[in-house]
Amino acid sequence: MKMKLLAAAGAAVALAVVTLSGADAHGPTRQKVSEKIEINAAPEKVWAVVSNFQDGSWIPVVDKTEGTGGNAPGAKRTLTLKGGATVDEEVAKLDPEKMTLMYRIDKVDVKVLPVTNYSSWLVVSPLDGGKKSEVEWRGAFYRGYPNNDPPPELNDEAAIKAVSGLYKAGLDGLKKKIEGGS
Amino acid sequence: MIADRPASGRDDGCGTRDTAPSHQWGEGQRPPSTSLRNRLTSHPASSWRGLWGALLLLPFLAAFPARPDEAFVTSQPAEMLSIVDLDTRKVVATLSIPGKPAGIAVSPDGRRAFVTSPDGRALTILDAAARTVTARVDVGGGPVGVAVLPSGEVAYVADWYGARVVAVEAASGRILGTVETGLSPSGLAVTPDGALLLSADRDSDAVSVIDTASLKRVGEIKVGSRPFGVTIDAAGARAYTANVASNDVSVIDIATRQLIATVTVGERPYAVALAQGRAFVTNQYAGTLSVFDLDTLEPIGTVAVGEYPEGIAASSDGAFVYVANWETNTLSVVDARTLKLVDDIVVADGPRAFGAFIRAPSR
Repeated sequence: MKMKLLAAAGAAVALAVVTLSGADAHGPTRQKVSEKIEINAAPEKVWAVVSNFQDGSWIPVVDKTEGTGGNAPGAKRTLTLKGGATVDEEVAKLDPEKMTLMYRIDKVDVKVLPVTNYSSWLVVSPLDGGKKSEVEWRGAFYRGYPNNDPPPELNDEAAIKAVSGLYKAGLDGLKKKIEGGS
Repeated sequence: MIADRPASGRDDGCGTRDTAPSHQWGEGQRPPSTSLRNRLTSHPASSWRGLWGALLLLPFLAAFPARPDEAFVTSQPAEMLSIVDLDTRKVVATLSIPGKPAGIAVSPDGRRAFVTSPDGRALTILDAAARTVTARVDVGGGPVGVAVLPSGEVAYVADWYGARVVAVEAASGRILGTVETGLSPSGLAVTPDGALLLSADRDSDAVSVIDTASLKRVGEIKVGSRPFGVTIDAAGARAYTANVASNDVSVIDIATRQLIATVTVGERPYAVALAQGRAFVTNQYAGTLSVFDLDTLEPIGTVAVGEYPEGIAASSDGAFVYVANWETNTLSVVDARTLKLVDDIVVADGPRAFGAFIRAPSR
């Protein structure tokens, strides 16, 4: 998925050379993204996977997870993506009662994910009286380019597209992992 | 990862009122009619004129009971202004405001509201009572914070990209002039006497002092790292900046233009409100308010609110503080005495309410 995103970004860069004037560009505004998926498993089972910050393998683009601090606020992990890029992340809040994990990206190249000041929430809720679950993945972030008149590959739309794509693929991966029993 | 990006404005800033003002007729809303009745019964023969005058007044008194406080909440992704009745805690009106609205200032007389749209590069001027747009002013750059003179006649807009403040005539929407600031001016506040405008210049780690009469920058005060919101107390004595990157609040003595103290708060503070002799500071990353005493500057406690709390302001009687939670889409109601979260009012997506967003009853 990431590869596809990057390819799209590459095409956008090529275009940008021609059309960089963009008088209509937007100023930086924090963006929001939310994606949800239904999983045929009890919330506790889903939360066990979601709250395990030291294993990001359910996100398809992730090749390797290395971290410290376990699953608690302040815990850190480095995700190595297929293709070699890395993302450094940190747990901000972990609330088992509300089945909510909040974490932030401490460091990522905008060429990998075109965002800054990224934080996100993973929330597990019961469906069908606890027989099934819903997982919501929400994100808050700014686009990759901090000033007025961003190049297209670093504008608000590019940031939203990249994060939405990541969440959709990630939640699909989570569903497969849990429902497939692996 | 320093400081929330330009952000399109959020902070609270401006003239949040300190403690309870003297007018007390929010409670029963009866005083005028009661006193009228007394007059009528105790002076039965006084004069027909008096009686007629009183009778003529009655329908007006009935038609205009004391107005409750209202919150004017900008919702950035929703491109909406939500007006919340703070007695019933219900959204009573919504207005579409294009350009990702962020900053807000309601004039002290409650007549007008001013909304910045960073993405639309505009200031929208509203008739606060009629809930209608009266002007949309192209101010250019990236308008973020906004503050208004006590007279309500002039609004000042911080241009994040242009490192300047634009002065706009409220009635006409005419641009009166501009003044240079430090880098990335964000929050603005005007002193209660209207003489000075303070601008939190985020990327200069400083506050600009601007003389409103001459529209000249007359001073600069170095504060903590990345100040965003700035709030002036009711006496015009001190100003408080929320410093996003140093996780503290700078306390400024306005008369001497000195930094007099620094108070540690939570992660990524955004803006400050004052009530009950206390400062209430929104901590974006912590999802909390830090509360400290204004005399001793000692911490009093923290209050858990929603995610990404941003704009914050006190009720006109100082009993409550209201907090716009950008991520959670709520306006939290916090009792300023007990520090309890007493209610959460759902508002449109992405509330910021960066500025003096409470419309108080007119005096």
